[in-house]
Amino acid sequence: MITRRLQYELVKRLAAPLLVQLQGASKRLKGRQGPRPGSPFGPPLKSVALLKDLMTRHYLEGRYADGAVPVAWVTSGFPVEILRALGFFSIYPENHAALCGVQRLTPELSDAAERVGHSRSLCSYARTDMGAVLLEKTPVGRLPRPDLLACCTNICQTVLYWYRCLADHFKVPLVLIDTPFVYGESQEHHQQYVRDQLEELLSVAERIGGRRHSSEELVRVARLSHEGTLLWGECLAESTNRPAPWTGFDGFFHIAPIVTLRGSEECNAYYRHLLDELRHRVRHGVGGIKEERYRLMWDNLPIWYNVRDMSTLLAENRFNIVVTTYTNAWAEAGKRMDPTDPVGSAARSYTHIILNEDLDRRLELMTRLAREYHVDGALLHSDRSCKPYSIGQVDLKDRLAREAQVRALLLEADHNDPRAYSTEQGNTRLQAFMESFA
Amino acid sequence: MSGVAIGVDAGSTTWKAVILDDQGQVLASRVAPAEPLVDQQTRVELARLRERTSTSSDVPVGATGYGRKRVGAQRAITEITCHARGAFHITGAGGVLVDVGGQDSKIIHMGPDGSVLDFAMNDKCAAGTGRFLEVLLGRLQVAWEDVPALVASARSAVSVSSTCTVFAESEVISLVAEGEPVEGILKGVHQSLASRVAGLAGLLPPGGAVYMSGGVALGRAMVDALAAALGRPVTVLAEPQLVGALGAALSVR
Amino acid sequence: MRAEYMREQKRSHGRKVLAVLPIQYPKELLTAMNVLSMELWGPPGAPRGPGASRLQAYVCSVARNAVAFVQAGGAAEVDAFLYPHACDSIQGLATLIPDLGGEDKPALHYLNPKGGYRPSSRRFVAGELRRLAADLAELTGEPLSADRLSWALDLHREIDRLRARLLDGRARLDMTDSDLYAVLRRGEWLWPEDHLAELKLAASRLAPMGEVVQRGVGLLLSGIVPEPMSIFDELSSMGAYVAADDYAAVGRRVVRKQLLASEDPMDTLAWLMFAYPPCPTRSTSLGQRMDYLDRLATRSSAEGVIIHTVKFCEPELFDVAGIKERFGARGLPVLFLESELEAELSGQTITRLEAFVELLTQRRKS
Ligand code: SF4
Ligand code: SF4
Repeated sequence: MITRRLQYELVKRLAAPLLVQLQGASKRLKGRQGPRPGSPFGPPLKSVALLKDLMTRHYLEGRYADGAVPVAWVTSGFPVEILRALGFFSIYPENHAALCGVQRLTPELSDAAERVGHSRSLCSYARTDMGAVLLEKTPVGRLPRPDLLACCTNICQTVLYWYRCLADHFKVPLVLIDTPFVYGESQEHHQQYVRDQLEELLSVAERIGGRRHSSEELVRVARLSHEGTLLWGECLAESTNRPAPWTGFDGFFHIAPIVTLRGSEECNAYYRHLLDELRHRVRHGVGGIKEERYRLMWDNLPIWYNVRDMSTLLAENRFNIVVTTYTNAWAEAGKRMDPTDPVGSAARSYTHIILNEDLDRRLELMTRLAREYHVDGALLHSDRSCKPYSIGQVDLKDRLAREAQVRALLLEADHNDPRAYSTEQGNTRLQAFMESFA
Repeated sequence: MSGVAIGVDAGSTTWKAVILDDQGQVLASRVAPAEPLVDQQTRVELARLRERTSTSSDVPVGATGYGRKRVGAQRAITEITCHARGAFHITGAGGVLVDVGGQDSKIIHMGPDGSVLDFAMNDKCAAGTGRFLEVLLGRLQVAWEDVPALVASARSAVSVSSTCTVFAESEVISLVAEGEPVEGILKGVHQSLASRVAGLAGLLPPGGAVYMSGGVALGRAMVDALAAALGRPVTVLAEPQLVGALGAALSVR
Repeated sequence: MRAEYMREQKRSHGRKVLAVLPIQYPKELLTAMNVLSMELWGPPGAPRGPGASRLQAYVCSVARNAVAFVQAGGAAEVDAFLYPHACDSIQGLATLIPDLGGEDKPALHYLNPKGGYRPSSRRFVAGELRRLAADLAELTGEPLSADRLSWALDLHREIDRLRARLLDGRARLDMTDSDLYAVLRRGEWLWPEDHLAELKLAASRLAPMGEVVQRGVGLLLSGIVPEPMSIFDELSSMGAYVAADDYAAVGRRVVRKQLLASEDPMDTLAWLMFAYPPCPTRSTSLGQRMDYLDRLATRSSAEGVIIHTVKFCEPELFDVAGIKERFGARGLPVLFLESELEAELSGQTITRLEAFVELLTQRRKS
């Protein structure tokens, strides 16, 4: 235990930054090369190198975390502030699965999960990660074993089914924050329920983490978290400018810190840096793509294994994704946070998440975003894997056209599993959609 | 010598039958494309087989396959049980039997006495069946006979990620358009099918042989791809198309 | 038949009718307030009509068929809808369906807490029940009375006792599966007292303890809803019967636990909501669910397990690997069957069932 802790601290304090600096230096050099001639994109964001450093360091720390500090595996919408304040190191299986998705590892990992009896119709994030656990195979070297599984149903119920399987596999406790679905307005006894659960969480986490929580620490983390989401929101909002200084697809990658490092100094430092760069680009009229003619909104998760191809196709046709409901979700949450009341405001902000609200609310949000970001059309990714996001998209598409004059395309795919997506068919439909704007 | 038992495997793409002698040896057999009126086809085909082997008309008939209940047999038993029986008759051992047919694929786990311990079948779509190969060979304009040589000559496989037949079709078309070599794509197609079948197989018990039957087992390329996907050697049963009919005959012997 | 029955109930008894989506909800409360529930499971068959494509094809058929059915006017005569929070799909329907053209019927909700009993969820259930009672009072114009609730609780306890006797004493019951399930499933839309009468009639066909009537291969069936119902006739013709039931629509809604008597019937009802057998849509731990299934199989001497679930139903599908592992370790064969609420079983499905029964028969012999 002691040596493990030393090892972890060593990596955290010395090795990690050192390694990161070294890697960073070489990457920064590469970053200066600018776009390839003929590329439809604007100059690449310099912050990308820093982002990679940050995430590399996070997963590197993770390798040495178990046995040294308490480790929690956490869903993306979990009120992690409480765990962070108690010194937990957290791993985000969804983020990890996305990493695997980008590298097209899902088929192989999913196969492993399917071999033990999991159906291919399960969410591909779950299949990817369960496969990674079974095969002990991951692009990040090693995932630390969890002491606690922390699951919040504000994004979907799927995570709960999935974490139950993980709990059974690792034989560790699962804490649940069940956020009642919001029809219209969240009711008082719903808020009470979430607050009660947060209190229950505190005592479980204290037991596993082996220490009592301090209110100051909780407030400090909540403050950081609040600030982080606001910063993230500001970064996104830079895209209300014309041209947008980056693309929505860039946003998919830059979301990693607000998801996995929310409530930490590094996270906020990173976004301050990014925001500077984006503002600089706006001042100089530098766009995410070279020629921005049409602006689109994206709904649902990205198609991780196809982001590059799709963004190229769009950019070549002078289309830019300027806003996505997915990346916006973390910015939206910040609006209801109040660091002086960490528990009460967490109950509020973590319940009002786009995926936990009814379709009217979703339409309202999309209409508002369409207006604020001046979009000409919308791409609704109909994601086989994500039922909560998919249900209602057919109606949303019609209503966006009718009520907000936003023309939309429903594009069927899967966010992580390339086997369920036909690139050719997808591109044809996208092309036809773009032609309809000419 | 005349037959003592007849087995019919009325599949959805091919019709198969065997006649057994009293030693359990195959006296005569027949494989024909399936006709829509399976009862009529069975009558005609069996009459010919009986005549060829001077087998009397009261010799019992066991039937299996999709049309098993429509051929007027004394016993109708599913393909699963029949394939296991047929395979055990040939090998005398347990193991895993992979049968890839035209419309169906099945994985049968057999105990050391040939009993069925567990089985899995493909979903209703064509992914993971012979139909997948058929469609894609058609797309690539490759004749069935040329497949082994072409696949053997491929320098490396071009990955075909879709396992859905319709998606794979358009994927293959665009790979050809991008100038990928046909041999490589063909190899990729085999790998894709093999991975789907291997997925169906689930966890294989440690040790134990893997056998293959069904029309697709006649193609060496598929057998190799499956062996690679399973990480196990795969033995093709003699007369792989007849294993089901053999089992059906054994059930009335 | 259902529609006629519903009209009659409204006319003769002044009852309100609630179309209820799956799965678990406090039916006692409805009964106490003179509200008839008409549950929407499917109905089976490919979704048709203008509502058929409002949900993507990869959404489960329980949800898709419900939308198509309602949009085609199937629930025109109900007074309101109730959406229990079963899963992401049903919760989505709760805003999708009210939006159907010209639909202005009230949409009531009941949110089941997830993850088993906790003090927080106990308190939450009490809140949900109070709110639902208020919503129902608005619908009927009558407030809830404690006496009526006590009466309804007793009535439903009696129903559960009989349902448990029929299911647990299946081997002694001289009835075919399809007859038994017809009776059990009529409870999805009959007024509880009418349902009770039919259950009593069925229970009179139970042979005395120790006598065995069913000699076929006994199976444990687990899934969402037994559709198409022809599965039972097919199984019988193959020489098998349902020895134990774990369908969400049937066995998982039969409460067998003894309830703590409480002064306040609302309190009893709240406890009841935690007394249901484990259902993945409620997400108690996997271990608890497996132990429960294990006991069901043992008690009924089931010789095989069929997981007969709805395609794309994530709550069910996540547990499949665990079920296979558990029963595999015990040497009990498991068949996995996905249904799309077809009107008829496909030839391929019949082959699977038949092969499975052949396998079990063979094991019996050896
Ligand atoms: S992709 Fe959708 S279903 Fe999967 S974990 Fe995320 S929110 Fe849940
Ligand atoms: S079948 Fe499953 S996914 Fe569909 S409504 Fe029922 S619980 Fe939800």
